[in-house]
Amino acid sequence: MSTILDIRNLTIELETSAGTVKVLDKVSLQLAEGEIHTLVGESGSGKSLLAKAIMGFINPRWKITADRLWWRHYDLLSLSPAQRRLVTGRDMAMIFQNPGSYLDPNTKIGDQIRETIPKADLKGIYLRRKASRTVRAERLLHRVGIKDHQKVMESYPYQLSEGVAQKVSIAMAIAHNPKLLIADEPTTAMEPNTRNQIYRLLAKLSAGQGMSILMVTQDLTSIVPESQRMSLVYCGQLMESGATEQLLTTPMHPYTQAMLQMSFFDQDIAPKTRLPTLTGAIPTLQHMPIGCRLGPRCPNARRDCIHQPRLTKFKQREFACHFPIREVKSHD
Amino acid sequence: MTSLLEVKNISKYYRAKNGWLKQRRICALEPLSFSIQRGETIAIMGETGSGKSTIARLIAGAEAPSSGEIYLNGELLNPHDYQTRCREIRMIFQDSLSSLNSQLTIGRQLLEPLKFNTGWSQAEQLERVYVILQKVGLLPDHFHFYPHMLSSGQQQRVCIARAIILEPQIIVADEAFASLDPSIRAQIINLILDLQEDMGISFIFASHSPEIVKHVADKILIMHRGKMIEFDSTQALLTNPKEQISKNLLQSEQLNKALKHTTTQE
Repeated sequence: MSTILDIRNLTIELETSAGTVKVLDKVSLQLAEGEIHTLVGESGSGKSLLAKAIMGFINPRWKITADRLWWRHYDLLSLSPAQRRLVTGRDMAMIFQNPGSYLDPNTKIGDQIRETIPKADLKGIYLRRKASRTVRAERLLHRVGIKDHQKVMESYPYQLSEGVAQKVSIAMAIAHNPKLLIADEPTTAMEPNTRNQIYRLLAKLSAGQGMSILMVTQDLTSIVPESQRMSLVYCGQLMESGATEQLLTTPMHPYTQAMLQMSFFDQDIAPKTRLPTLTGAIPTLQHMPIGCRLGPRCPNARRDCIHQPRLTKFKQREFACHFPIREVKSHD
Repeated sequence: MTSLLEVKNISKYYRAKNGWLKQRRICALEPLSFSIQRGETIAIMGETGSGKSTIARLIAGAEAPSSGEIYLNGELLNPHDYQTRCREIRMIFQDSLSSLNSQLTIGRQLLEPLKFNTGWSQAEQLERVYVILQKVGLLPDHFHFYPHMLSSGQQQRVCIARAIILEPQIIVADEAFASLDPSIRAQIINLILDLQEDMGISFIFASHSPEIVKHVADKILIMHRGKMIEFDSTQALLTNPKEQISKNLLQSEQLNKALKHTTTQE
């Protein structure tokens, strides 16, 4: 599998009243073709910002620098806005949380889906095109697992349950067969059954069409079972990145371990006992600690942690910590 | 021994207009009964629209039941007896910021229940507020803060402080953990476990996260379309669920983990 998205040391700086703040601090991310990559981070970790930077939803006030921000053979940072829009529009799509709230409330679902179908795919004259649009829209709905397409296309967003609304938004996102789908917390506040349906759908799309998916989530309890790789970010810094099973079974970074314990992955924690947790709260933008930003909350923090650790690479995984939980064997 | 809270055959119906004169009865909750002992934690699980929030609201007194009674310590609790309800049963909501008054400082918000429900002097009230602030892990300085100045975890702590300030016997929480970050959520769960040990509060919470329910609850009540499907101890439900619905609700995440473990073993 070849790498299609290659991000090296992406930094986003924001001008605030307290001076320049690095909201993302040297984050690297590689995405292979047809891979599901989970990006885990708590609120304020900059995970949505990273997604926006890839998609190019950029606020002119942000200062974006990167050693590499490559999409296939395009250098996204050196493209002109018009060119970039063309590339993004052709190859990428994004879905969000609360699907019901960003569908147009005044338009029927059918019209909204018809609108997303690219013109280039339609042939024939006016009436013929219109009919084939409808057929395409129905097919899209079938592909995301909505059987009763007639009823859904005739309804307004408020009439749909959130699971169906999310499926509709996935249908709209895959209308032009994107190569990359970014899902920004698509299942928060959904009940487990609906959530699993959405996950199965995403996994199917990725396996069937070789679509890469970047799943952004807040919580380790809601990761797609089929996810191959995973990255954890905290306050804009990359903590650990690697194969999902590896990270879940043998975490190297104290943050990964803490997240696992807090998400009840550790079966040894008896019911009704105190959960191991990180002390304190997530720092605000204006009060980011220097060095490793986990420092003040980290159980293993020592004096060296005021210097930002470099990414250590070994066995296909990366982590940024001076004092990893497990020893790195140098001959590997 | 009488149980702390006994719910007997409560139900809730709503009326919906159907045509000009016809009315349709919509059943949100079919008659159900259960009881809670002192210091016990009960989790209510179910899909959306299964009536789990309705139960929470009926117990807290936010709505009056269409039929049935609630007994507190063996005494009948009148649906409109807000005095007793305020003091004995208190509620925590999902969205902590919107459930706090944005125009009052934290201290003033915590003083309000004391003003209305106790005959204490100002000095006593203030002292109580400072004690409670400390108890939920906030600083005395937070007295003068406004809600938006706090982080989401701290806001949820203020909500818990407001709930326990009158030393209630029961706290009802409707999805109180759902919107919190994992590290903050673990802190809040620890706080609630601590408070429960300290003060012997019974805790009723609605949740759709099987992990939290397994960790915190003594008993689980499973709802489906307004009906109570099962009510049993956590252990019994986990090892031997009678209905498929309960199995699905409790194991949907377990499945993910099982998948994970098999792939690593291969």
